[in-house]
Amino acid sequence: MSAGRDIVTIARWEVKKSFSVMSRNVLPVAIVLFVLLVIVTGFAAQNGLHIQDGMYRIGIDDPQVAALFSSDARFTVYEAGDATLADNRGAYDLVIVKGVVYASTTEKGRSALNTLERDYTQYRNSVYTGENDLFAAYPLWIDTQSVESELNFTATQNGQYVQVAPGQGPPVPQGTVKNVPTPSPTLGVTQDELRQELVTSSSQNTQVSRYTDVLSSHESVMGTFVTPDQLSPPLPFDSIILVFVFIFPLYFTSQFFMMSIMNERIERKGEVLLSLPVKTSSIILGKMLPYFLGMLAICAGITLYIRASPLVLLPLIPIIIFFLANALIIGMLARSFKELSFISIFFSTVATSYLFFPSIFANVHVISLISPLTLIVLTIQGTAWTLADYGYSTVLFWLTGAILFYIAARNFNEERLFSEKKFLPRIREFLAGILPQQHPYAALFLLAACSIPFVFMSQMMGLVVFFNLPMPYSLVLLLVVAALIEEMAKAAGIYTLFVRDTAFFSWKHLVCACAATAIGFLVGEKLLLFATLAQITESIFGSVLFLSLGVLWMPLLLHLACILIVACSLKVWGKNGLLPGLAAATVLHCCYNLYFILGWIR
Amino acid sequence: MKTRHVAIIAKKEFQGLFSEKTILLAVLLQVFIALFSSFLMVGLTSMYDPSSLSRYSHFRYDVAYAGKESPLLGYLENSPDFRVDRIDLSTAVELLKERRISAVVYAPGTPPGAEDPVTITLYTLTNDLQGAVVDVKMKDVFVKYEQDLRTIRAGRLDVTPVPVQIPPSAGSGDFFEFVYGLLVPLLVFLPGIISAALIIDLITEEYQHETLETLVSTPVTFAEMVWGKVLACEILVPFQAGAWLFLLMANGIAIENPVLILLHVTLASLLLILIGALVALHYRERTAAQFVFSTALVVILLFVLALPYNPLNLVARLSVGMAGVEQWIVLCAVGLTVLALGYSMQKYADRIGLLQSGV
Repeated sequence: MSAGRDIVTIARWEVKKSFSVMSRNVLPVAIVLFVLLVIVTGFAAQNGLHIQDGMYRIGIDDPQVAALFSSDARFTVYEAGDATLADNRGAYDLVIVKGVVYASTTEKGRSALNTLERDYTQYRNSVYTGENDLFAAYPLWIDTQSVESELNFTATQNGQYVQVAPGQGPPVPQGTVKNVPTPSPTLGVTQDELRQELVTSSSQNTQVSRYTDVLSSHESVMGTFVTPDQLSPPLPFDSIILVFVFIFPLYFTSQFFMMSIMNERIERKGEVLLSLPVKTSSIILGKMLPYFLGMLAICAGITLYIRASPLVLLPLIPIIIFFLANALIIGMLARSFKELSFISIFFSTVATSYLFFPSIFANVHVISLISPLTLIVLTIQGTAWTLADYGYSTVLFWLTGAILFYIAARNFNEERLFSEKKFLPRIREFLAGILPQQHPYAALFLLAACSIPFVFMSQMMGLVVFFNLPMPYSLVLLLVVAALIEEMAKAAGIYTLFVRDTAFFSWKHLVCACAATAIGFLVGEKLLLFATLAQITESIFGSVLFLSLGVLWMPLLLHLACILIVACSLKVWGKNGLLPGLAAATVLHCCYNLYFILGWIR
Repeated sequence: MKTRHVAIIAKKEFQGLFSEKTILLAVLLQVFIALFSSFLMVGLTSMYDPSSLSRYSHFRYDVAYAGKESPLLGYLENSPDFRVDRIDLSTAVELLKERRISAVVYAPGTPPGAEDPVTITLYTLTNDLQGAVVDVKMKDVFVKYEQDLRTIRAGRLDVTPVPVQIPPSAGSGDFFEFVYGLLVPLLVFLPGIISAALIIDLITEEYQHETLETLVSTPVTFAEMVWGKVLACEILVPFQAGAWLFLLMANGIAIENPVLILLHVTLASLLLILIGALVALHYRERTAAQFVFSTALVVILLFVLALPYNPLNLVARLSVGMAGVEQWIVLCAVGLTVLALGYSMQKYADRIGLLQSGV
């Protein structure tokens, strides 16, 4: 109970302190900037964003046609006689002579043609929308019905098609045929309702509404009916708006926490805090609490604003925790402000990619579920997700967050906070901080087991990166990277102990330490796999990452052999032996995996 | 102001940066993003334009046609993308569920000249890449059919649009605009933003670590010190932006006028760095300075982007070889703003320097 009171007290101090720093000079400026932001947003919305202006050169002989396209700033329109245009065809990306478009054969010409086509469609639609007889202007409506099918990891990769052998006559279904009601031949919408809908949908700026539509679950009167022009697949980058709306504010707020931790370390200001008779975990939690609540409030505010379901908050909480845990560690590790900036920019980019790129494939591929952002996309769409999905996409965030907090809490002391050592030795020291001197083997065991979530996260990252490559390359690269990451994780503990106490490593101790690491790694791996990752392990990618799941003694031998290579290399060549040892271990690991995959594929 | 002093400070900052080795992270980040975007391009292009992969080029998708006779059936049969079978609706949908065919089309027997529109029902698979591809191919067929129907009903239209004949597009042009109109300008301006954040760190660090007195006690004046830091950050910009251009080109994205792009980026970045320096001099504390700067940055960027011929747009134009004389006018405008800001920073730094030496 008293720990709870400590946390609240420290949280109150933190709020008071940051407000006293911020309010004096910053608040008035912040208000001015906010007002300016609103004004500028309005200005930009009215003026449009002029980043792609004048990309294409287009020559037109007819002023009436030229008027159609001169409003699109991407085109620089030149009017000339058709003879002049024909002579200088090469100078233009597009030429329109006597109402016929000729595009240059370059990539740019094709792109210009696509843009022109979209503009022309828009213009044509604006003419048709004004017609009296709308059903003459829009004579064809497509009712788009989607049919559920079992998702198949291998079948949908790269848009592959489950090919049926081209037999004679139509195929015959294997399952039982359920009666599908005959669709009604009428649209069920009057011309007036249709006109209303067309006016609202054409008045929207498609460049902007494309993104805002991702956020809103707008119901059109037309239901599932579209005109042929509207029949287009979702654009791949649309979910980036979610990154801007949800993830950026979180990243921004976590910066304040990072800075607050860093400030405690400058000129030993944090000594007061450390001398308090409270547990370090209470100090950390207390300092973190205001930021956590703040971030939660921001997310709740945004959710309310876009009128999304409050369920959106569930996948956001592990992201918040993960961000805060990383902010804490970065704030404790960085030696200077510029280092803080670089590390935090690096971290945020990597974390954002990890969150964003899989979510591109939302609705398309199960791989998208490794990102909690996909759950947000699904929630906003109104698609249900299960508790298992939630666990699957967030468990790594929960675990890594918790482990980072533990490391931070163990190292939140004068010795670590105020030391001026280099970056990598500092990381080593942090690890040493959680490895107790008395029980080195138990510590190695635990460290190896705890490194598993980080290993999986980095391997998942690799999976995302290499997923887009054609099949053989993606497998090979993934193989090497996965092996290297595992070896690095296993070597971390041994290396830390080795540097701290070289004399400890007699040959006997060395073998014992390696055995402890190998067993710890195996146990951690198995535990996490059994808990969650069944979906990915079923695929061929999973078989690369988590191959070692099969028989128990084989992977154990592999882990032991690999870590022994690294340890021996360390013992023989000292610290310089780390890299060659890692390389050798990776090669061995790859060979093992290759052997099994080749056997497995055959 | 002595150039030598400025150079000494710049050198000191560089040594600090390189001894910390964290600048390596920035380089690593560039390679990482470049890798990512090129992988993404390859993956997405093949996903949205399956014909770009040669083995798909003559691929025909099996579709089922149900319902009454209509010209649509003829279009589907003549299309090189589809192989059509006439199957009754319930059976066809079951086949679709089993992934044995890729779409089902149902047509009611509405006559083409009827009062009401013709409604076609299209069944495709949810959550499927293939469904997205089939949608695109189907669209072509439907658009042809729609044009036919419009011609039949043309007598009922009041106005007809100005006719423009557009040849069928060869596809795959969509990434051009994304790459040159967004990726290139944003990436080359990223170093400028990073440098501006860096100058804030460098200046506030002197205040917060209380190392300023030591520095001021040397022959270097306060203003010289600030300019040295600005110089160090500014020198980083062309190198990093150049690295972006190089990485993009290595990924097969041809960029014209790289030297001119670097010129524009370097000058515009100096503007950002000076703003960062002014904010840092004013607040002397990192949290506040970074907060105010990043908010101001959003305002400035949004405002600048809404102006025609802004520097980002110029980079886009230059990279596709479309910039004319106007680029020099913009360059001059940016240069004048830099001069004005530089002058005010000199005055501000002088004043702080006087106060400091007075204390």
